[in-house]
Amino acid sequence: MSIAAPATLFHTPFEAMASRCEVKLNAPTAAAAQRYADLAIAEVKRIEHAYSRYRPDSVVSRINAAAGGKSAVLCDAETVSLLDYAGSLFAMSDGLFDITSGVLRQAWNFKQAKVPSPSRLKPLLDLVGWARVERDGARIRLPQAGMELDFGGFGKEYAADRAAAVLMDVGVTQGYVNLGGDMRVIGPQPDGSPWAVGIQDPRRAGQVIATIPVSSGALATSGDYERFFEHKGRRYCHILNPHTGYPVAHWQSVSVLAPLSITAGSCTTIAMLKAADGAAFLAQTGLMYLTIDAHGQFGQPPA
Amino acid sequence: MTSTPLCPTAPATPAALPPLGMALLTAALCLPLAPLAQAESQPERGSITLKYLDYKDSQPGWNRIWVHAPSVAVLAPVGENWSVAGSLVSDVLSGASPAYHAEPNPFKIHEHRKAGDFTVTRYLPRGTFALGASYSTESDYVSRGITAQGSFASEDKNTTFSGGLGLTSDQINPNNKVVVNERKNITDLMVGVTQVLSPNDIAQLNLTYVHGTGYYSDPYKLLDNRPRNRNQTAMLLRWNHHLDSTDGTTRLSYRYYTDTYHVKAHTLTAEYVQPLASGWTLTPMLRFHTQGAASFYVEADGSGYPVLPPDYAPGRIVSEDQRLSAFGAFTYGLKVAKQLDKDWSMDVKVEQYQQNGAWRVFGTGSKNIAPFDARMIQLGVSRLF
Amino acid sequence: MRFITKTTLSRAVLAVSALMVLAGCGLVKPVQPWEKGTLARPEMTFEGDKLDAKFTEHIYGSKEGASGGAGVGGGGCGCN
Repeated sequence: MSIAAPATLFHTPFEAMASRCEVKLNAPTAAAAQRYADLAIAEVKRIEHAYSRYRPDSVVSRINAAAGGKSAVLCDAETVSLLDYAGSLFAMSDGLFDITSGVLRQAWNFKQAKVPSPSRLKPLLDLVGWARVERDGARIRLPQAGMELDFGGFGKEYAADRAAAVLMDVGVTQGYVNLGGDMRVIGPQPDGSPWAVGIQDPRRAGQVIATIPVSSGALATSGDYERFFEHKGRRYCHILNPHTGYPVAHWQSVSVLAPLSITAGSCTTIAMLKAADGAAFLAQTGLMYLTIDAHGQFGQPPA
Repeated sequence: MTSTPLCPTAPATPAALPPLGMALLTAALCLPLAPLAQAESQPERGSITLKYLDYKDSQPGWNRIWVHAPSVAVLAPVGENWSVAGSLVSDVLSGASPAYHAEPNPFKIHEHRKAGDFTVTRYLPRGTFALGASYSTESDYVSRGITAQGSFASEDKNTTFSGGLGLTSDQINPNNKVVVNERKNITDLMVGVTQVLSPNDIAQLNLTYVHGTGYYSDPYKLLDNRPRNRNQTAMLLRWNHHLDSTDGTTRLSYRYYTDTYHVKAHTLTAEYVQPLASGWTLTPMLRFHTQGAASFYVEADGSGYPVLPPDYAPGRIVSEDQRLSAFGAFTYGLKVAKQLDKDWSMDVKVEQYQQNGAWRVFGTGSKNIAPFDARMIQLGVSRLF
Repeated sequence: MRFITKTTLSRAVLAVSALMVLAGCGLVKPVQPWEKGTLARPEMTFEGDKLDAKFTEHIYGSKEGASGGAGVGGGGCGCN
């Protein structure tokens, strides 16, 4: 291997995608570690810029700005592959994983803690629907003005996988990439033992409710605690069902261990959206998971 | 905090996933997530580099030539698979070159050379193809050249074959009108192979062959008259090795050279690149060159005059050019580079060079010729865009 | 190319075959794509600082009797 065994691990924290992020990696010297970390951080920021809804020059903004217009937007190969991925997930989740559902957030203001009326939601629900998006090779067209794509459902996980690929490419064999809790492990600790990855307690901020040993692959968690408000004793979180327009309420959190961060993250999101059917969905994937239901009860794959 | 008994040695990929798991994973594997092994690839960012070269040489008792040369080089990716590169140099030379051996020419020279080149490169999945053109002009010499180069990598990209062809056409009109409208035409051929030997070792072997015809003499040297055909062959072996223990890299090269003037030369170069904290890089280097004299080189006598052959007659092939004599030469130097931020970098390189007849190896050196010293300084600044 | 002497040619053939043998016959283990991080560093390539290489070649080409090896089309000048 390109990096000698007694290498040290170096830790670099950074901010990206509105999250606290970090990379931990092995390298022969501190200078090399810094160079490797810079490569990984640059890759995360590249993806953040390319797929941000808030940057007018991003691919996503260009597609959204052309919604309802006559012409389709030509995409680069990477964007095409991400759109294909979104389409596959839409099919596998019975239409629950829908990257056009971000528009519903316009009705849900988590600062004002107000539940929108059905008449407020109705016109927004009309703008949701991946099935109506027109694709032709590398071209994409949103058929109705106001429709939007949002890669937020897997952008962070994709960035974690890409950053890990960049690090493996320069010879990193140990460590991990952590983007705001989406953890992609590159290789075990120097003594060969797995990393102990903590799972957030959904009801006690900053507390760890479980630790999962991970030596390779990725662990992702979705929960109803990331952004929410309570109204008349009911919790309304940020994960919105694209069919009803209302937040999901069955699970406090879902964690999945998978070979790739994007797979782990997509499974947690789909399980949250599937509510009561989420456990069956997770069991069918064959992946390792840990669910915490509305009563705080743990769930795991059937033995 | 509860430590759950969940999958204590959970494999990230269970041995066999059920259809849904496989479908999810397959969808993700269509994404560009694998580290890419690339043949020489299009540069991701363009760059612009400014450099200033200061060259000064001397022999005991007199300063010979002083050269100031600012230059600029630009490299820019174009579209998905192309790049363009170009450079311009303007060198101003002043001083006096030797009339013969190491004797000063009474006429001072002031020469301004302007040169530029331009290359377009096309990147293919397994290789590259490049076309280039160059132009150089000074008061007594104009050179025009074109090049075509290509490379092709093996499927695992561990072996790369390369080849090149160059054609150069020069026009020579010396200011002293010794000759008028002279020509020199050169054909250049190159073949090479680059081999990845280990994650820390890469080696390259190049062969170049140059066939030239035309005016090779130095119009400003007395009696200088060289053959009008010159064929030069060089074999260059290079090896770069990365040291994990220091994060440094050794760069070694050896060149064997031979030509139809019967000059044979061996050149060894060693560099060590050491990255340091805060973006600094130090590169000490050492070079040794030794060559035998051209068959028609005439030695100098004890008082510095050429020892012409007893049967010398005008028109006979002779040269007293020190660069065609037998000697050894050492260069030692240091390059200091600093990455200022993610876009800007600067470097300074200082080198000291000395030629000495007594340092010739594999034979005796030319006698009665004063050692020759040169000092080179390069200042550079570069920006990525 | 009768100007390439027999010795040069045999040396070159020897060196090329040495590289091929090293690469082909298992003395060198094929390097995997993910092991090429170090090889991608600028100091591990043979290109390096192009202006620096051009200056250096130009100077040695005008002070010594030997040149070539690195590529084609050095560009002629009156200094040769």
